Amino acid sequence: MRLSTNKKLVKKSEFKLQASGFRPLLLAACGLLLVAFLLGMANTSKAKVHIHIQKFKNGHYSLMVNRKPYIVKGVCYNPIPIGQYHQYDWWSDPNKPWIEDGKLMKAMGVNTIRLYQAHDNPDEVRQVIRDLYERYGIRTILGDWLGFWEYPCPLYGDKDFMDRIKKQVLEMVSLYKDEPGILLWILGNENNYSCLGHINPWSTEEIDKEPNPQIQKFMRAKIYYSYVNDIAKEIHKIDSNHPVALGNGELIGLDTASQFCPDIDLVACIIYRGKTFGNLFKSLKATFDKPILLSEFGADCYDAYLNKEDQNMQAFFLESQWRQIYENLAKNKEGAGNCLGGVIFEWTDEWWKHNENDPESWKVHDAESNWSNGSYYFDIQAQGNKNMNEEWFGIVALSEELENGINKRTPRKSYYVIREFWKKPILKKNNNKKENNKKK
Amino acid sequence: MKKLLVVLCASILVLPLCLFAAENAPTVTQASAVTKTTEASQVPAAPKEFVVYVDKSARVNHYIPSGWMGDYGDLKLNDQYMLTPHSGTTCMQFTYSAKKSQGQGWAGIYWQNPANNWGSKKGGFDLTGMTKLTFWARGAKGGEIIQKFLLGGIKGTYPDSASVELGPIELTDSWKQYTINLAGQDLSYINGGFCWVTTADLNAGGCEFFLDDIKFEADPTMKPEGKKQQGMPFYVFADKGSINNHFIPSGWMGDYGDMKYDGASNEDPYLGDSCIKIVYNGQATQGARWAGIYWQNPANNWGSVDAGYDLSKTTKVTFWARGAKGGERIEEIKVGGIMGEYSDSDTATIGPVILNKEWTQYTIDLKGKDLSYIIGGFCWATNIDVNPEGATFYLDEIKYE
Repeated sequence: MRLSTNKKLVKKSEFKLQASGFRPLLLAACGLLLVAFLLGMANTSKAKVHIHIQKFKNGHYSLMVNRKPYIVKGVCYNPIPIGQYHQYDWWSDPNKPWIEDGKLMKAMGVNTIRLYQAHDNPDEVRQVIRDLYERYGIRTILGDWLGFWEYPCPLYGDKDFMDRIKKQVLEMVSLYKDEPGILLWILGNENNYSCLGHINPWSTEEIDKEPNPQIQKFMRAKIYYSYVNDIAKEIHKIDSNHPVALGNGELIGLDTASQFCPDIDLVACIIYRGKTFGNLFKSLKATFDKPILLSEFGADCYDAYLNKEDQNMQAFFLESQWRQIYENLAKNKEGAGNCLGGVIFEWTDEWWKHNENDPESWKVHDAESNWSNGSYYFDIQAQGNKNMNEEWFGIVALSEELENGINKRTPRKSYYVIREFWKKPILKKNNNKKENNKKK
Repeated sequence: MKKLLVVLCASILVLPLCLFAAENAPTVTQASAVTKTTEASQVPAAPKEFVVYVDKSARVNHYIPSGWMGDYGDLKLNDQYMLTPHSGTTCMQFTYSAKKSQGQGWAGIYWQNPANNWGSKKGGFDLTGMTKLTFWARGAKGGEIIQKFLLGGIKGTYPDSASVELGPIELTDSWKQYTINLAGQDLSYINGGFCWVTTADLNAGGCEFFLDDIKFEADPTMKPEGKKQQGMPFYVFADKGSINNHFIPSGWMGDYGDMKYDGASNEDPYLGDSCIKIVYNGQATQGARWAGIYWQNPANNWGSVDAGYDLSKTTKVTFWARGAKGGERIEEIKVGGIMGEYSDSDTATIGPVILNKEWTQYTIDLKGKDLSYIIGGFCWATNIDVNPEGATFYLDEIKYE
């Protein structure tokens, strides 16, 4: 017993001896561990987020955030105050409207905002993204117009133009890819309409030589979608953590995109079809098997026929639209299973939209309609069938009264209706004619 | 004798009450008063029929043929035509001259309650329990085409609870019974009890036809009809006045004053004896700088009427077209795409198309499309910018295959 005790003592003393010899090394190791731990702590506040799209065996798709399914419940965000217009720099507003908005969004259940284009000042952009994510858990979709609104018209056949825009997009990705609040990137918006020549038309010498206008259209689409594909591939090289979406007006041109833009991860479509998205989801599956994000959809809340605000009308359309979005999410047997969610257009009204050239009109909540869309049928009998009121798409109204330095926000009925829907999505409703009436 | 006296007294008391009820309660229950009933002590059986017309001035008749529509000046009605009625002593004789007195190109008559009620008064009947509408019809010569027979569909403050139609029908020169299936329909309020509509295109030179024994019936064997899948080919335009034509070129868009439409042009049709001729003069009469026409069902339906055809069996639309000079440019040709309360289930487009001077066939590929509900059967649109001097062009044999 003693002997053994002594042995132990000997060993203990040997250890002490050895320990005293390695003390500096031990201290260094502990120090390193501490540094590593602290670095690790620092990284948890900027933890790497991995977002990807999962395709299931049944062909359905789901957006996965850190391996968990994520339904995009989004709003388009452009908080232009009353009296200002689209060039107003809200990013540097000392009153930080996104703080108040983020609080309201979180209470509603919004988990995503969409910003069409990042601001020039990266610090301000980061601040907005971080504030929304860190305070409210709201993620940001960041987009780029791909030069669509530049003057002269976008030149998707011009190498200098294309290189410049590509560089701009890749810079954006580099700047913000490590922000935990970033959800995904959207390239373009409705740029495909320029391939048809409907808006911002562009051409090349080769296209001009082609006599058949249908082939011309195809040539433009081929150039444009190949270009987007090229950018998407470049993004994937520098950022493997966020999906890249092709922004597209309706499904127009996606048959061509399926040939020339295979490297995008999803399509982000702008859809204004009123009560129903119709065959949208199945049609996409048949032409271009990619998941879809409804990146802009909604309804205005002004009855152009009766000339008065109608919040029921807006709520009716939005609820119906969200029901269809949910019906087509992954794992719903009756849907197409290719929808990832939606982004409502839009969070607040924008009072400048009716006439961007008249600063006086930016102070007025203009009720004159700008365009016609029969899908929003309650007020289609308005004069000239112009029933769409561009300044009245917000699910939150603005008033001239200031609160915390910004225009007071008042949620509309749709805010509450969609909040309740998100809490408890009820998909099946009787599809009878009474359903076509607004609920009062 | 005493018993007879009691029965007589009871009859004197009860009969006026029954008559009063029949005249003042516009529900199907009044039909029981004119249908053979059981003994007074028993609960009356559910009515088995509800008559619109059996004979001139018959007490069982309901509704008034008062809603004359379209080219009403082209119409004549004799509601006591006595030669060869289907049954009884009279039938109804209609003469349609197709002279387009009001410039509409179509005409029709609604049976209403009360007369001339376009939904402003509460006069509809509750026809719940009825499962079909039957009527007998014949043409004076045979071959007369009625675009549709229908019931319900009157809007207004007091709208009908249903709208059901049948047609087009090509009449024979002998009496034939037709049936409109009403099983599963909401007939709780029907002001437009019966209606027929036809067009000058379908009856160039007019037509004369007869109707008799129009009535709603409670037939328990009737089953609700699902939306019927249309067989192929399904024509939009085959020939002028063809019973095979579907959809109406009623949706004039943009500079509608810039267009002239001739659905019976005999200028070198591709097939048959007529084709469609369209003249677009590019004058921007309404200031839109573009124009186009939608073929709709029914006319002027921008998605407000639930009347889409189920064309699920189709895989393509084909049509023939030519320009008067060659080089005319049509920006867009499409099917479907009408969005409203009732939206088309899908859309497909081709264009721009530069027309040849010779007839050329074009195809709109519909594979993978959902054509299960189509109100807008065909559409074209063009503009001044691509046709600064306007465009004259021809269409023929527009069909779903």
